[in-house]
Amino acid sequence: MPATVGLELRSWAPLLALIVSCVGFGLAAPGFATVENLWTIADRSAIPLILAVGTTFIILQGSIDLSIEGVMAASSLTFAMCVLNNRTGLDLGLFSLVLATCAGAGLGLLTGLVTACLRVPSFMVTLGVWSASMGIAMLLSGDQPPLIKDPMLRALGLGRSLAVPNLFLVAVAVVLLGYILQSYTRFGRYSMVIGGGEDMARLLGLPVDGYKVLAFAFGGLLSGLGGALESARIGLGHVDVGAGQMFATITAVVIGGTSLGGGRGGVLQSALGTLTLAVLTNGMIFVGISPYAQKSVQGALILLAALVTTWPLRSRLRIVK
Amino acid sequence: MTRAMSCPAAMTACVAGIVIAATPAVAAEPICDKSEIRLVNSMREIAQPYHANLDKGGRLFAAWAGLKNYVLQLNQGDSDKQISLMRLLVAANPRCTVFNVEPNADLVVKPMVDAANRSGAWIVTHWAHNEGLHPFDGNDHWIAHVAVDSLEAGVAISTRLVDAMGRTGGVVALQGRLDTDPARKRFAGLQQVLQHTPGVTLLDQQTANWDRTAAFPIMQTWLTKYGGRIKGVWAANDDMALGALEALRAVGLAGKIPVVGVDGIPEAIAAVEKGEMVATVSSDAYYQGSIGLAMGTCVLTGQVPLPASWPKEHREFYLRLVVITHDNAAQYLREPQPETYVGDWQCDKLWSRSTGKAF
Repeated sequence: MPATVGLELRSWAPLLALIVSCVGFGLAAPGFATVENLWTIADRSAIPLILAVGTTFIILQGSIDLSIEGVMAASSLTFAMCVLNNRTGLDLGLFSLVLATCAGAGLGLLTGLVTACLRVPSFMVTLGVWSASMGIAMLLSGDQPPLIKDPMLRALGLGRSLAVPNLFLVAVAVVLLGYILQSYTRFGRYSMVIGGGEDMARLLGLPVDGYKVLAFAFGGLLSGLGGALESARIGLGHVDVGAGQMFATITAVVIGGTSLGGGRGGVLQSALGTLTLAVLTNGMIFVGISPYAQKSVQGALILLAALVTTWPLRSRLRIVK
Repeated sequence: MTRAMSCPAAMTACVAGIVIAATPAVAAEPICDKSEIRLVNSMREIAQPYHANLDKGGRLFAAWAGLKNYVLQLNQGDSDKQISLMRLLVAANPRCTVFNVEPNADLVVKPMVDAANRSGAWIVTHWAHNEGLHPFDGNDHWIAHVAVDSLEAGVAISTRLVDAMGRTGGVVALQGRLDTDPARKRFAGLQQVLQHTPGVTLLDQQTANWDRTAAFPIMQTWLTKYGGRIKGVWAANDDMALGALEALRAVGLAGKIPVVGVDGIPEAIAAVEKGEMVATVSSDAYYQGSIGLAMGTCVLTGQVPLPASWPKEHREFYLRLVVITHDNAAQYLREPQPETYVGDWQCDKLWSRSTGKAF
């Protein structure tokens, strides 16, 4: 049956896109297919993976999150000013990672409450939260961004454990957590249902608003974690720590096969999409594509990947928005 | 324009007294009483060290000159706001107001100059402006434009880089946003130096959009791709240089491979002092934040003739850049001292940092 074939192809297409790009770059550039480069790609994709997991649930429910960069900035500054740094007298160590993550979760919670309870479209709310949290970050930053002096957290951000980058290990844990949430909890299942048809879910008596708030809080939490970890890596709290991550994350989620309309996709697909993007940016440097052409090449490849992933979905009646 | 004729002799003597050491013969009648002079620094924001230092420089000058009326205008990256903030302020007492402007974009210079010409306020602009526009083309209230030569900055750091590499080996280059003028010119500076240094080859160049976070994974990828062939890292600004430095730190190469950047932000200067970076170039924000105010004050107090009579190279000139290396880094890490700048603020030394006519 076409429907079944479509379903199968759909879930395999993102993996196919990833494999094809790996093989392609591997053939074109000899240094690409090495273990060392595998870890380079893993390190590059660590923070985008964490962000993609959070965003997946929001998009699965049919909402959108444009606040990623702002939340990352706010949590980055929170983190940098709580660890041993050159601006405040604090030295809270690992606890500041928890604080920064909670700050992100708080901002996400705020987004969720305004979206679900006050019925403002998530597009507008997250845009507002983006701007507001960017403002908080700028206030905290003042005229001198705080430098992180805690050697343990710097080692977490820069170091490796048994050759594997630490941040990638964190990212794998987050992806697993996301997968468990998606597959084995009501939150995951109902998110799918809400995205598939919110009116239906409400008629069924599901606590739709609650799950929406939860999804935004979880997304904020992971943006917060991502912002703090990125700071640990580059060594300071910075308002631009998430620059460019919002579009990259949404792109990764969508080329992974999670539909922007909601109700279709999942955490593992988003992870594949993220890895594909990381392979593309890494591979283009290996192959030696001129930076002047890279943007257009990347755009073309993203279009191609999106086409591959959505090809089986071109059914007659599907509504594309 | 009506001149203020009421300026008391005592006040004139006082103004002259401040700069007595180097005061030239009084060149014109004072336009304003000292108490009427209003100094305005117009810039993007003060969340970054560069902008904070512009403001500090302006305040330093105001305190030194004994002028109390100092206004800081922040546009938060909004060009329209930068223009409208100026228009609002010149509604009152324009002829005694001096604007020192860090343009948010090249294109705000013209409307701001027009506003100055119309209202009678005075303006000094920095960095770059659109082509075909000059202070000496009938813009009598546009005192001067202090341009920064990005090519010179690119050449300066590239020279230090190839020297630190022993004039041999491979170099990777992190470019700024490719569609911006400074990015193009700084990179042209590198290419110029490489042409004369056959031993050094450019392994690769990528853009990290001036951004530290973006520079990090690019440097990582280069380290994987080229490994030990990388003997030097060139970055079009300090932020990207510091991002690359962290990627080097992750593999234990910080301080072992020379890194250069542009801007002279405090962190980069600290890295230069520690030996983790070789050089950075600064336009000296303290100077940029004060020189326009100093020029305006000299004009308003009549210590220099009206700008319309100045030679062209005094109306539009390139600023001499400061190259910061291990030898002089400590000096730039300290808070600015007025003594460093007093020499530049004297009415007969206003052009002491000019390297000649710009554009």
